[in-house]
Amino acid sequence: MIKLTHVSKSFDGGQSYAVKDLSFQVRKGEMLVLLGSSGCGKTTTLKMINRLIEPTQGTVEVDGKDVMGRNPVELRRQIGYVFQGIGLFPHMTVEQNVEIVPRLLGWSSRSKRERMQELLSLVELPPESFAKRFPDELSGGQQQRIGVARALAADPDYLLMDEPFGALDALTREALQQELLTLKKQLKKTIVFVTHDLHEALLLGDRIAILHEGHLEQIGTKKDILNAPATQFVRDLFTTREPGTFTLRDT
Amino acid sequence: MRLDALFGYIVERLPELWLRTGEHLMLTGCSTLAAMSIGIPVGILLSRTTWLRGPIMGVIGILQTIPSLAMLVFLLALLNKIGVLPALIALTLYALLPIARNTLTGLEEVSAEVMEAAEGIGMKEYQQLMMVRIPLAAPVIVAGIRTAAVVGVGIATLSAFIGAGGLGQFINRGLALANTKLILLGAVPAALLALVVDFSIGAFEWGLRPERKRDKKGSAQSFMRPLAFMLPVALILIGSVTYFTKPGWIFKSETRFETSHRIIRLATKNFTEQLILGEMMAQLIEAKTDFKVQRRFNLGGTMICHGALVNKEIDLYAEYTGTGLTVILKHPVIADPEKALDYVTKVYHERFNLQWLKPFGFNNSYAITVRAADAEKFRWNTISDLQASAQGLRAGFTAEFAERPDGYPGLRQTYNLQFGEVRDFDPSLMYEAIAKGEVDVICAFATDGRIASYHLKPLKDDRQFFPPYYAAPVIREDILKKYPKIGDVLELLGGIIDDATMQQLNFEVDAKKRQTAEVVTEFLNAKEILYIEN
Ligand SMILES: Nc1ncnc2c1ncn2[C@@H]1O[C@H](COP(=O)(O)OP(=O)(O)OP(=O)(O)O)[C@@H](O)[C@H]1O
Ligand SMILES: [Mg+2]
Repeated sequence: MIKLTHVSKSFDGGQSYAVKDLSFQVRKGEMLVLLGSSGCGKTTTLKMINRLIEPTQGTVEVDGKDVMGRNPVELRRQIGYVFQGIGLFPHMTVEQNVEIVPRLLGWSSRSKRERMQELLSLVELPPESFAKRFPDELSGGQQQRIGVARALAADPDYLLMDEPFGALDALTREALQQELLTLKKQLKKTIVFVTHDLHEALLLGDRIAILHEGHLEQIGTKKDILNAPATQFVRDLFTTREPGTFTLRDT
Repeated sequence: MRLDALFGYIVERLPELWLRTGEHLMLTGCSTLAAMSIGIPVGILLSRTTWLRGPIMGVIGILQTIPSLAMLVFLLALLNKIGVLPALIALTLYALLPIARNTLTGLEEVSAEVMEAAEGIGMKEYQQLMMVRIPLAAPVIVAGIRTAAVVGVGIATLSAFIGAGGLGQFINRGLALANTKLILLGAVPAALLALVVDFSIGAFEWGLRPERKRDKKGSAQSFMRPLAFMLPVALILIGSVTYFTKPGWIFKSETRFETSHRIIRLATKNFTEQLILGEMMAQLIEAKTDFKVQRRFNLGGTMICHGALVNKEIDLYAEYTGTGLTVILKHPVIADPEKALDYVTKVYHERFNLQWLKPFGFNNSYAITVRAADAEKFRWNTISDLQASAQGLRAGFTAEFAERPDGYPGLRQTYNLQFGEVRDFDPSLMYEAIAKGEVDVICAFATDGRIASYHLKPLKDDRQFFPPYYAAPVIREDILKKYPKIGDVLELLGGIIDDATMQQLNFEVDAKKRQTAEVVTEFLNAKEILYIEN
């Protein structure tokens, strides 16, 4: 379980806040989607969970323990992170990229290897033809999948995904979204998924947290949000577009 | 020169060329390695401590702007040592900037996104550095090393000035003897070496790059990779092997030193006359004692020779009274040759524990010189003889002579001379000008070989205006005390070379391009000094 309590973050000593008084919980095994427009503080929130950024006020707990009281290196090795910019290591092969966290954790080379092959198959990139390639020899979508595989490598309980399907065309994105849904059923991970795409949020999220200018507008299931928008901002989010397009699939 | 003659010339010097190339590789290789072991850590340190960056890069940058020769001379003074050590330090300091700067730039340029991923997946700080930052910066760092090494090959040619060997030795000797072939013998291999070093480090960098899938396994490229990787290593190995296995046959004129022999270390400055005098003293000592002479010829100049002598890096060299007086002792000119010699002898003894031996006999000072034919025609023997006709004469002087108080301005006063026209010349063109009749009077050096070859006549300085420049061996007193025989032998050379003889010897080497050693042996044989019993 991940729990944020009155978390705020200011990068400029309190003049402005990237995240303001944010409180929510991510339940075990659920996929929570953080939804909001560019610059509203989604990435900042995610990074505070694995201590890449430290909160100015409030507490972040993972498994009931304040992250500020934990060794950041160990914490991060237990949390898979798919970065917004993918961030594959360009000097390492696909294989080495996927094996990096197990390597840091000191796994045997045999278990590293098995795990790598398992994961490449899982993200549907056959190891025989992809293991030895370098990131710049992959398409954008393939790179994103390797990013996911790397995050999953050490079999972490938690997965933080920052717009993992951001820069993709609609077709590829849809395919990957479906893959993620299947994965989620297989893996039973607790996932925080960041997106600014309403459609993606509704498709993937068990619950959705809507952020606006650093604070939480509403958190709840699709139904809660669609049926009972808590604020004017949330209401506008749906009425400015064709409501039908979002509700068709789920209701 | 005909091609086979040129070929023979090179083949004859092949052993020494091999040795000098080895020395050159050692100088460049060791200094580059030293600069790497300092520069890379410094670059890493600076990438992590921003406030240190300005001051440290500033200091390294300033080091780079010091002219190479100035740096060598400065280190010489600082370390009180000639030879390999100051050369290595100078080369290392020059190599520092490209290596440290490229390390810093390379590390800085690694994308923030990748570094965030490294941190975010749980790498410790040193793991981020070792596993991500340094590997990604490696090509830029290696490029810095490449620049440093190639520039180093060039600068290393200057190390010969302070007796550190290398290909610069040929260039140096060539410059001293005005021998283009010798200069090329050093310069061409040095340029080739720079290309080889550049290529091998380039290949190393290529070998460092990860093998792509599209470079198919088993292809030529994949086969070449480890080879490319090994190239710089091989180069350093070759350098060390050559350097450390100096076989005896490499030294033709330079003697190999066995520990059973006692050694006298003899230096010269870097011009023909000095080389002749040095070789003469060396041959005599070797012929008449059981000492071996280590010839540390062609050192960069007066201060370097004197410094080496005072610091016991060498045992003797030939100095000129006027130079000792004005340059070393900073004393005003003493016109009387005897008094000048007495003065330097006394003060050298008191101040440096050095002994001036008996001068060779010639006086290499400035000499007002005319064409021999004119001298005969107008009965000119002394400078005073020119007074009457000076207004009608055209003079050609070096720019330095025209301005120095002990040059033309002083001369004019002392002799009440006023030439009709005075033109400035480059020293070598000055001799051409008088030979071709473009001027009538020049300021030559009294022992210059061209006085003989161009049929010129130096006029007697009858009012003793020019300071005396008598050459004599200057030797450490402790050596003299321990081995008085050395002093006895060198005294044999006292007074046996007059101005004309020295002119002739310089002429043989400078103009006829004969080997110094051969000319000297011939002279010593003719004087029958080698057979005098003492
Ligand atoms: N390291 C930082 N220093 C200063 N300001 C920052 C920093 N990181 C983020 N911010 C600011 O905090 C705010 C929230 O940024 P954040 O990256 O969390 O947005 P986001 O919701 O992830 O946006 P996007 O959808 O564009 O990725 C922005 O105004 C941003 O400019
Ligand atoms: Mg973001």
